[in-house]
Amino acid sequence: MADAGDDRRLGLGTLADGHAIAHHGELLQGVFEDDHGRFHRGLVTLPIDSLRSTAWIVLDESGDFCVEPPSRVKALRAAQLALAHLGYPSLGGRLKIESDIPVGHGYGSSTADVIASVRAVAAALGARLLPSTSSRLAVAAEVASDAIAFETEALLFAQREGGVLEHFGGSLPPFVLVGFKGDTTARIDTLELVPARYSREEIQLFRVLRAMVARSVHYQDAHLLGQAATMSARISQRHLPKPYFDVVVDIAAHYQAYGIQVAHSGSLFGLMLDAKSASRETIHTIIAALGDRGFQDIGIFPINVEEGTHVL
Amino acid sequence: MSFDVDYFRALETPRLARLGPNVVAAAFPLMKLMPARFILDQAEKSGELKAGAHIVETTSGTFGMAVALLAAARGFQLTLVTAATLIDRAYQERLERLGAKVVALADERGDGNQTGRLAHLRAVMENEPDTFWTRQYDSPGNWQSYARLAELFVRSVGQVDWLVGCIGTGGSLCGTGTFLRQVYPHLKIAAVDTHRSVLFGQPLGKRMLRGLGNSVIPANVRHHLVDEVHWVGAYAAYHSAHSLFRNQGIFMGPTSGAAGLVGEWIGRTNPDSVVAVIMPDEGHRHSNTVYDDKWLAALPGWPCAPVRGPETLVTIEPRDEWEWTRFAWSRRLLDEVPRPVATS
Repeated sequence: MADAGDDRRLGLGTLADGHAIAHHGELLQGVFEDDHGRFHRGLVTLPIDSLRSTAWIVLDESGDFCVEPPSRVKALRAAQLALAHLGYPSLGGRLKIESDIPVGHGYGSSTADVIASVRAVAAALGARLLPSTSSRLAVAAEVASDAIAFETEALLFAQREGGVLEHFGGSLPPFVLVGFKGDTTARIDTLELVPARYSREEIQLFRVLRAMVARSVHYQDAHLLGQAATMSARISQRHLPKPYFDVVVDIAAHYQAYGIQVAHSGSLFGLMLDAKSASRETIHTIIAALGDRGFQDIGIFPINVEEGTHVL
Repeated sequence: MSFDVDYFRALETPRLARLGPNVVAAAFPLMKLMPARFILDQAEKSGELKAGAHIVETTSGTFGMAVALLAAARGFQLTLVTAATLIDRAYQERLERLGAKVVALADERGDGNQTGRLAHLRAVMENEPDTFWTRQYDSPGNWQSYARLAELFVRSVGQVDWLVGCIGTGGSLCGTGTFLRQVYPHLKIAAVDTHRSVLFGQPLGKRMLRGLGNSVIPANVRHHLVDEVHWVGAYAAYHSAHSLFRNQGIFMGPTSGAAGLVGEWIGRTNPDSVVAVIMPDEGHRHSNTVYDDKWLAALPGWPCAPVRGPETLVTIEPRDEWEWTRFAWSRRLLDEVPRPVATS
């Protein structure tokens, strides 16, 4: 039985919060070799830090847990796993998720809720979790996950194990992403999808794409990153084809985009544009062209572009 | 790229050398380890190659050495079938010291007796059903293994515009080229062959430059990937190997000399392009031949002046060993290219 001092130390009865960012699908997704010659499904996430999920938590000794909205059961499970991990499996509490990340469109809304909940639990207990720990708890809570616990650090992440296959040693190079959706009526549950069965040749090609991403981060070369993302999108197209992909390819070529990026198991597309030369006019021309072709929910996301220096 | 200790992965990884402002060469100690390790890894994983099983291959070249090293380290038996005309004593002894059984068949016609070698290999396989044949000529694992080389080029130079490499089984050039061209569709590929090799339509004849070209056409040679072909004679290749060593301190075999010669020329004639060159083996095996003045002096027509550039051919034809020719292949299939009248 905790006394009042313990209550304060454990943050019982006080409100704590945790946050996590969204992502815009993946720049690269495939199968990759680890340092020991074993192969893992892995991905390079494209983080979007302008969309986020916030988890609020009040811990108590009831042992019962509830979440609001009640549909966020993965976030609830993550909070319980985090409590157990930090040594308080018998505590309960109330969890509330507030998120501006749309559900079911590949923005990683579910993982963001999960990570935000884990962080809220840690904050309530005055604990600090490494990104790798948060990621492992997220994987435990929802089978597969993505790398947003690492915020904007560029890395190759094994989404089914929650481990890092390669730290690329920095952030992604700067570019402007024009994101959009081909079919806003389609909602995809990531975990219901059958994982792609890549050919041996494709798995070998993923080595080259991984090298391109590594170099693009090292030299901050967004053009090279765009080439890698486009090839990854093309491979994904063979396994989980998205309607209108060819239309996007044409638009990207017409406006000299650096590349095409997709949510490999969602409905998002992104055009990657040069951050220096993408003017307000060209971006608006592209948005108009996308709108004419029926694409929806068009958004502009400056990625690692210095604030205040950009034309947007 | 990896922090784990793996001797053979390290040994199959080339050192990169700059041959010109826009020319980078991958200088391999033993390139054939890359396909050998990949083919064995895949076969072990799939269960096709069982622990302690017997591996067979018909080769007298560096692929045999690569498989022999791996077979020794991993506890496989190995039989290499070759022709008496194709193998020298020192190399055979080195393979045997690794535990390989080397079968050198008689070769009365002097053409390498590939038919006899294949018949022998099939007989071995019929007697022992668990025997594994690495099939470097037609196994897709051969060319697929070179994704590691494409990866290495991309990590160190980024975009590649020209890929230059020797062709024998087609694995290294067609494999590296296949992967690089998927991400750089504009990539041009130059195949380095030698006079009297049949790979790109020359009539069969005796090849002086060993380890380059072929007298048969392996399935792994995919002609439609190739933009241009260079036929480099043995003497031109020897001069280039000497020059790489003397002027740049890079000690490579003569086929690497041929690749370097073509790569440097393509770099000079395309100064705005990034050229990647594949150099398959080191000079040690050739110290008693290509790097031995007495051996060289006994060659007919040696010494001769080094050749500075290729002669562009309109009709494919064999030339003398000091010569270097070039032909616009233009990504055609072998059947689509007009060939000289057969001289058989």
